[in-house]
Amino acid sequence: MSGAAAAGSVVADRRVHPATVPLQVLTQAPQTVLGAPALFAFTSDVGWRSALGLAGGLFALVALLNWVAWRRFRYGVGAAELVIESGILSRNRRSIPFARVQDVDIEQGPVQRLFGLAKVRVETGGAGGDEGVLDSVSLAEAERLRAAVRAGRDADAPRAETRAAEHADEVLYALSVPRLIAAGLFNWSLIWIAALFGALQSAGRLLPDWVRDPAAWMGVTESARGRVTPATVAAVLLFAGLLGVVTGIVRTGLRDYGFRLVREGARLRRTRGLFTRTEIVIPRRRVQLAQLLTGPVRKRFDGRELFLQTLSSGEGGGGRQTVAPFATATEAVGILRAAGTLELPDEKRLQRVSSGHVVRVLLRSALPLTVGVLTAAWFYRPALFALALLPALAVGAWLERRYHRYLLDRELLFVARGWWRQALWVVPLAKVHSVALSRSWLQRRLGLASLLFDTAGAPALRGVVVLDLAEERARALAEAVRAYSGRKSGTDR
Amino acid sequence: MQALERGQLWLMIVRAGLFGLILLMLGSGAARAAQLRAGVPPVVIVGPLLLLVGYLVIVAPLRRYRAWAYRMASDELELRRGVWTRVETAVPLGRVQHIDIAQGPLERAFAVCRLFLHTAGTAHSLVVLPGLSRATAEAMRDEIRARIRAEEE
Repeated sequence: MSGAAAAGSVVADRRVHPATVPLQVLTQAPQTVLGAPALFAFTSDVGWRSALGLAGGLFALVALLNWVAWRRFRYGVGAAELVIESGILSRNRRSIPFARVQDVDIEQGPVQRLFGLAKVRVETGGAGGDEGVLDSVSLAEAERLRAAVRAGRDADAPRAETRAAEHADEVLYALSVPRLIAAGLFNWSLIWIAALFGALQSAGRLLPDWVRDPAAWMGVTESARGRVTPATVAAVLLFAGLLGVVTGIVRTGLRDYGFRLVREGARLRRTRGLFTRTEIVIPRRRVQLAQLLTGPVRKRFDGRELFLQTLSSGEGGGGRQTVAPFATATEAVGILRAAGTLELPDEKRLQRVSSGHVVRVLLRSALPLTVGVLTAAWFYRPALFALALLPALAVGAWLERRYHRYLLDRELLFVARGWWRQALWVVPLAKVHSVALSRSWLQRRLGLASLLFDTAGAPALRGVVVLDLAEERARALAEAVRAYSGRKSGTDR
Repeated sequence: MQALERGQLWLMIVRAGLFGLILLMLGSGAARAAQLRAGVPPVVIVGPLLLLVGYLVIVAPLRRYRAWAYRMASDELELRRGVWTRVETAVPLGRVQHIDIAQGPLERAFAVCRLFLHTAGTAHSLVVLPGLSRATAEAMRDEIRARIRAEEE
């Protein structure tokens, strides 16, 4: 490397891969080259010949611009920083000190894989997303860059443990195809069907008649239309269910194919994806907490989804990264231990929240129903039959409480919640940033209190909460957590 | 637990009072219109309105003011607030990322200011303590700062 140690003297003498230019032009072609003249041809009286000429001209212009941008984009790797120079008219020189770099992510889209290219994203702790993106370099260059950044950073902050263990890679989790399909099965969702039908509806006017009319292509005859039999309802539901399962498998397959989680010293590295392969690195010390997600059926198959909440504001999910889409309890424990000093709770010791939780959940669901039904009954008497749903709500409230449990075990706080969507949070006390105890009007009447444990990197409105504890128990728990975080405040940022 | 400065109560009353004034103006207009159009005696509208404004301007700020309290311990700041939903927050001082003191024009008139504590958390990443005298706020800031610095060494 030609870079010198002094800041500002690093020579930005490298360009991204030349194949980037045609790739960029091609991927941009649909919206620029084809879109604009097509619109022009439709809206004015210009003939298709001139439109074609216009398209050709635009194509050349876009190619030229991309080529100039490529010529003007240069980067260089120094001993302690990465320098990126860009800008066609105004030059922009950005230097990213290795000490500030959190992760180096490598991403490969389908076309990039074809050409052996990769997009490198250098993530610093800053708020902006695109601080250092190299789009695209050869895969070998990407690997080299990452090694250089890591070497530079580790030299900057020597961490014997990190470097000694660098070579001891250990596969923590690998997803086989059968289990990928299992994960997809539990990922089925009707939302995608709704989206599909919505898209069909809006694009409907462009489609031929027979597509728009489901009755026609589903083989329902003219005479049967308007007569809804239980059989047709069952058929439609079955069809929708199947579609949901298929979309679930396809979606999971695209995203999680070849899922691997590898431990490299003090980091976890995750690779996944069928067409677009992504790779992220999660440094251990940035892990704030773990979340496990399962359901009544999935639990029977010993399957659970495992997430780690990290400090970095990585793309999507607000710092919440999937580290196993479908893991057994044993695998989950292995990953948790590798991610920090996390454990699974002793199920038998988990404590339930107060029985007052049932009352509150029931009131919250039953009150709107009762008011709604009574209002409707004013106009239409038989609406009163809907009140028969109340027992179901009562059962739901009872289940909510049964599955809402917590445990404070040495340095870990466990919170379980949900009956259908069973979530379990594993929170190291050292990562709790503040504790809030709140009592609403009703809770004060029932002698209850809720606790919110604030952590860093949590998605908005999805913090770690324990609802409706008996007040003195809530105070005792808050006190215990506070005593710990006051005594030993982890300064890992 | 420590109560807020008296000035904060007056500030809350003045703020609510501005809102109450607008409400009264709108209400009296509506009462006048109802009297002219439908012959409704103004008392029917103005009476309840006066009660509501009285509650909003005097009773509610008083309750809100009384609900606020704070305590500065050696290792954490404890806050208490809320009339209907009572919330008690504890912020370990070692977790504070940085501190701001803010004072608006109205606050200046009543000699109070707000202390902002930024933590790395999400839901409570910004904890606000209003109604402090400038001297208290600065003393607290210096104490927390010293505490953070001690933590870092």
